[in-house]
Amino acid sequence: MVNVIDYHPGTSLLHRLNPVAKLALAVGIIAGIFLADSYLLLVGLIALTIALAAVAGVADRMLRLLKLLVPIALFMLAIQVLLVHEGEPILGPVTDEGLSIGGKACLRLLGVALPLMLILMVTKLTDLANACVEHLHIPYRYAFTFTTALRFVPVFSQEMDSIIEAQTARGVEYDSRNPMKRLRLMLPLCIPLLISSVGKADASALAAEQRGFYLRTRDSSFKRYPFAAMDLVTLAAAVALIVLGILF
Amino acid sequence: MTAQSQQTPDPIIRLDGVSFSYGSGSPRALDAVSLDIAPGEFLGVIGPSGAGKSTLAAALSGAIPHHYRGELYGSVLVGGADTCEVSLTDISRTVGSVLQDIDTQMVASVVEDELLFGLENFGVPHTEIERRLAGALETVGIADLRDREIATLSGGQKQKVAIAAILALAPRVLVLDEPTAALDPESSRMVFETLKRVNEASGVTVVVVEQKVALLSRHCSRIAVMGEGRIRIEGTPHEVFGRSEELRRLGVDSPRTVRISNSLAARGLVGPDARPCLDVDEARALIGRVVSASGGAPAPAPAPSASPHAPAPRPRAEGSEPVVELAGVAFSYGPHAAAVTDLDLAVYPGELVGVVGQNGAGKTTLTKLLCGLLRPSAGVVRIAGTNTAEVPTSRIAAHVATLFQNPDRQICKDTVLEEVAFGLELTGVATGEARRRARAVAERFGLPLEESPFSLSRGQRQMVALASVVVMEPEVVLLDEPTSGLDYRECMTVMETVREMAERGCAVIMVCHDMEVVSDFAERIVVMAGGRIIRRGATAEIFADEPLMREASVEAPQVIRLARALAAEVSPAYAGVSEVADIVRITEEAVRRG
Repeated sequence: MVNVIDYHPGTSLLHRLNPVAKLALAVGIIAGIFLADSYLLLVGLIALTIALAAVAGVADRMLRLLKLLVPIALFMLAIQVLLVHEGEPILGPVTDEGLSIGGKACLRLLGVALPLMLILMVTKLTDLANACVEHLHIPYRYAFTFTTALRFVPVFSQEMDSIIEAQTARGVEYDSRNPMKRLRLMLPLCIPLLISSVGKADASALAAEQRGFYLRTRDSSFKRYPFAAMDLVTLAAAVALIVLGILF
Repeated sequence: MTAQSQQTPDPIIRLDGVSFSYGSGSPRALDAVSLDIAPGEFLGVIGPSGAGKSTLAAALSGAIPHHYRGELYGSVLVGGADTCEVSLTDISRTVGSVLQDIDTQMVASVVEDELLFGLENFGVPHTEIERRLAGALETVGIADLRDREIATLSGGQKQKVAIAAILALAPRVLVLDEPTAALDPESSRMVFETLKRVNEASGVTVVVVEQKVALLSRHCSRIAVMGEGRIRIEGTPHEVFGRSEELRRLGVDSPRTVRISNSLAARGLVGPDARPCLDVDEARALIGRVVSASGGAPAPAPAPSASPHAPAPRPRAEGSEPVVELAGVAFSYGPHAAAVTDLDLAVYPGELVGVVGQNGAGKTTLTKLLCGLLRPSAGVVRIAGTNTAEVPTSRIAAHVATLFQNPDRQICKDTVLEEVAFGLELTGVATGEARRRARAVAERFGLPLEESPFSLSRGQRQMVALASVVVMEPEVVLLDEPTSGLDYRECMTVMETVREMAERGCAVIMVCHDMEVVSDFAERIVVMAGGRIIRRGATAEIFADEPLMREASVEAPQVIRLARALAAEVSPAYAGVSEVADIVRITEEAVRRG
């Protein structure tokens, strides 16, 4: 799961866009998804996201991610269907309206998650942070906190895997077939994980400070992120997507 | 250093009566330390765990008093300024520091960005950034890694990136806290060679905390030995290792060649003023001189004595079954990922087998196959007669106990007693009985039963993990880098315990980078390279096979390399020798007869 959202180097159009423009495009798609009321547009926007992933050469990763998200989305669909009682009954507790609301909720979930993941796949976190600081005037410490948190996800998940391996090797039944039992066994591990996480975060803060973190300003970044024609086109496209969402 | 002969230059860092404790009431981690560090020095800091080495490094880099709170007495002057009076950021302009855990200090996903971070922050003019960046990569020797993703680098490469990122900031001093703790011998050597180059080419002062004595003695211009928060011995490597008896009392190992030259000196075979030999070349030259001066050549020696540590190879009982058996085992992490193939291995009760090879040779995969964390994709792994593919991992744990490199992944209970008893309880032993047995073992190791394991020192936590292994009375013990992060004394406790277990009939399989430890304790070795077992055999025999060692990128222990050189140049009597005592004895006989 984790390595699915890692940065994937490339030279596609999407890779070369200004990070802020990419972010705007993702926001445009997401806003469109929220505003849209027709299946056609919902499916269209998800298809657009996947098409963009194909252009950027990360379609395979996108599909792997989709495989992880679809069960969650179907779970949401089931819940919605069981909770909504209005409309014509189709089969048992299932109504046409429930199906329609549930279907949209499940498409929205996919539609919101995928564009953000796509941006992370085609943008280096450092570039994203620097560009946001340069153009959106976000204070660097927030950008840094955000990127550091994302960067630590694989570090922590590796640590968790190692802890589970060590515990399994000494006889804790993480390989039990009963998911509730596994969950109960996992809880005590939060303590070693927490202790090591706090230690790592503390070391990380110290290392950043010793490399002049507090001196950094908006002008520090060596790389600049100017807007090119393509970026402006992208921004316009993002606005168009939102308008589309309002209309349909 | 011509300036030094006329006038000692002002120290770049001066510690004057520095004491520090991490909280009021806690013992002093540093106790009245005074130390001058001259520009251009390469200072090594060594000492047993808990001696205050990391605290010293933190005081030098300004992390104390700015990051770690506590009570600080005395003064630390960096470039003439008291660290209490300037900010950590300003101290960092003079002193760059590389922390123990490399992953936590990386801020970027690509090498180039990692170097840019500090350069940008410190406001290096953008016109100069490219030159600094390229220069730092060049000095460290990783210009080819510039566009690589950090996640795809090896441990040694990451460590070099961390060094380059600091070096680009052009600090006058570089402070490193155990930079090679997680690295294999080859990468460790490269990191030290890099530091040496930085020190000589760029004139950067280097202060490095390190446990590996052979590296320190080869590269440092000065060594400070710490014990209980104080600096106990200080001087050039030759001066420091000339006092190996004192070092041993402090819990610090000496290179084996030093033990040889000191033994020769103690027997009056070399003058008392002779310098200790820090490496194989020095020892070879010394013994060559001594033997030829006496005019004699040693007679072919009787059979070399057995290692004082390694269990004497015991004849396997007739018809005894191997407790661990691998037949045609293969495993792969994926189509393009690392894999192991054709693993065949049988280990009998009471054997102590070492597994050696470079990082990535497949050693860790082998241990995971043995404890059931991985199932073979081909072939069969049998532990005590059970096919690991047929039972859950947690059941294999009743037969195989693993001592992991990092004890913190294993520890999860509130008290030492519960922690040690936990493994027994998992295999179905009643709580009362488990506690009773755990108490007996924990007391033997002198562990505080009611304390939280997390409040103990790193070395003590490893002892808790070891006690948890011993209490299981397993048929097989797996050791994954059992000595990393431990000081000499703790390392010996672990290894002696394991040897006793082997003598009681437990099969021990140990993956270890420390060839001296392997040579001392293992009776048999398995050599791995490229995911295969390329050779199995008796320890001394394998280490003496030079082409094999080259193929596996393993450096044989010092004594074996020395014996090989002496056998070729001085006398065939040295052939096949693997013990310090034998080298000394053969040399002594040669001199007496001559």
